[in-house]
Amino acid sequence: MGLEVKNVKKNFGAKLAVDNLSFEINKPGAFGLLGTNGAGKTTTIRMILGIIKKDDGTILWNGKEVSRKHVKFGYLPEERGIYPKTKVYDQLMYFAKLKGMKKQEADEAIKYWLKRLELEEYTYLQAEKLSKGNQQKVQFITAVMHDPELIVLDEPFSGLDPINTEILKNVMIDLINKGKYIIMSSHQMNSIEEFCTDLVILNKGKTVLKGNLNDIKNSYKSNKMEIQALDNIDELIKSLGLKVIFSKDNNYEVEIKDEEEGYKLYNLLAKDNIKVNKFELKKPSLHDIFIEKVGASK
Amino acid sequence: MRDLITVATFTIKDMLQRKSFIISTLIILVLIVVGFNIPNIISKIKGDSDWNDKILLVDSENIFEGNLEALNSDESPYKFIVKNEKIDEQEIKNEISSGEINSCLVFEKGDNGIVINYYVESTVSYGEIPEEVITSFANIYKNVQLSKLGLSNEQLQSLNMPFNINTIETDENPASGNQFVIMLLSILLFYAIYFCAYQVSSSITTEKTSKIMETLITSTNPRTIVLGKTIGIGIVGLLQILSIMIVGIISAVSFLPEGTLDGILDMTNITPMLGGVIIIYFIFGYFFYALLYALTGSTVSKPEDINSVNGPIAIIAIAGFYLAYFSMMNPSSNINVVASMLPISSPFSMPFRVMMGTATTTELIGSILILLASILVVAKISIKIYSSAILNYGTKLSLKDMMKIYKNEK
Repeated sequence: MGLEVKNVKKNFGAKLAVDNLSFEINKPGAFGLLGTNGAGKTTTIRMILGIIKKDDGTILWNGKEVSRKHVKFGYLPEERGIYPKTKVYDQLMYFAKLKGMKKQEADEAIKYWLKRLELEEYTYLQAEKLSKGNQQKVQFITAVMHDPELIVLDEPFSGLDPINTEILKNVMIDLINKGKYIIMSSHQMNSIEEFCTDLVILNKGKTVLKGNLNDIKNSYKSNKMEIQALDNIDELIKSLGLKVIFSKDNNYEVEIKDEEEGYKLYNLLAKDNIKVNKFELKKPSLHDIFIEKVGASK
Repeated sequence: MRDLITVATFTIKDMLQRKSFIISTLIILVLIVVGFNIPNIISKIKGDSDWNDKILLVDSENIFEGNLEALNSDESPYKFIVKNEKIDEQEIKNEISSGEINSCLVFEKGDNGIVINYYVESTVSYGEIPEEVITSFANIYKNVQLSKLGLSNEQLQSLNMPFNINTIETDENPASGNQFVIMLLSILLFYAIYFCAYQVSSSITTEKTSKIMETLITSTNPRTIVLGKTIGIGIVGLLQILSIMIVGIISAVSFLPEGTLDGILDMTNITPMLGGVIIIYFIFGYFFYALLYALTGSTVSKPEDINSVNGPIAIIAIAGFYLAYFSMMNPSSNINVVASMLPISSPFSMPFRVMMGTATTTELIGSILILLASILVVAKISIKIYSSAILNYGTKLSLKDMMKIYKNEK
């Protein structure tokens, strides 16, 4: 059970959009699709959903071609679109019917989701009268209201304020807990780190990294540490020849080659009886890994 | 099928709720009501009177020898007051300005015939003396003079012998039908097909502008979207035309004086068979042009580009209409057969060849089949190009781009 993308290629004229892309999503949860602008993320999504044809390779859901006939899927495109003159309820009902829902069932789902995303008061308002964030939430409902198995979200959190981001994050957690397969494309690395267990990073159509997020991170040594000391430890850090990345009010971020350098500093702090509130050896963040991998492939 | 109905229903609802559609339809309907009321409005402006009211006839020289009263027959729409004594010009003017009479005709013998002095407040308001009234004066005068010749009744009748015309057409399939009705229906059909079809293009571009396309094409297939939209807009167009026709008929019956349209609009040629043919050609003609417009509508991303891409389709439609129109003016010409077979002109041409009785059954069936085949070809091309072009948000696509897309989609 799951999605299998194998050796997929796509060219737009002379431009290579996606080159030999392969990955599998064989268990429910969120899968991250990362890349710079123009890396081929949206093209990949469009090929998965059959919006555009691939030049080569196979894309299968449970061994069958991804189509409305074989899988119930939902899609939140990066291009936010809405019928501006149509009432929120009417356009949701339109899409619900197109997705095969019966009127009664659609009505219940629409009302549930409008309440869940705090949009009830806009139910019978023309969509153009809603803020951009609320329009985005309406479009999100279009992607999930028919209870799809596969959900593709292209930049789901971009443009949302912290309150709405939180609302949507809670929905995401629910969807993951319900066993949905979610493909999430985003530039916000913290969102990917928060939800995704597996990921693929694309650069100019080529795969630069893929696999389980924890495995990827564990394959890296700690490369910095964070210290919250009660006294100034500038001299101590200098004595070990370490580089301070950032410091403010005795809070430090220090670059290290490996864990050993960190432990050396820790021992010196203990020896000098310097009190610390926090001492953390940090592995590279997804942001760091992304920069490193994409930078190296350029 | 379910999705097709859903798309068509949504399109109908969306169009009927648009302010621009409601306002433009209301303006058309108001203009129709006002148009049929123009004679009444003019009459009101003129003070509820026409040339027909009270006309004073002054025959002080007894030219008509007391026979002018004969003008006041039951059938005459005019009321004549006849006086045989001389009346002062100032008195005539006073009677006109006081409204006792509307106009006055004073008859005098001149060197070269009878002179009529026409007194009227203003010819702009009351018009010239109607032709049939002058003819009546001439006839009365002629009869007065003839009666003096002592001719018998038979001789008098033989002088006024009526002419009866029998027309025998030598063409084996002579054209029949009221030309005015043919032209009117032709223009109405062109309007219906052309403007309804144009809406399809505009609707697709609007959807592209609102960036809803990706959500839409992952909810149903492009074929359903194009056909559903085309059907929906066609139904709205049909409703609009029906409302225009109903308001037109009601206005004509309610506001026009009885008999005004007799002889102009002779509907006796419109048989149920012809009605059926008109409906078939409306539907097929609409689909032919609407699907062409669906293609052009999907190739642009901005509403301001619609007109430029629709230009070639407009030229095709207008060329088709004029080909049909000019062939109608020459019903016996062979160009009629061409016009009624070509899909671009057959929707405007064939219904009128059927009305005129010049089309054979084979020609009718052949024309419908050609049109149907053309619709299928256009639909195939349009839907293929639409499927790819709707995701193009850049500049408008050229013909070369479209051909490339079609080739790649094969």
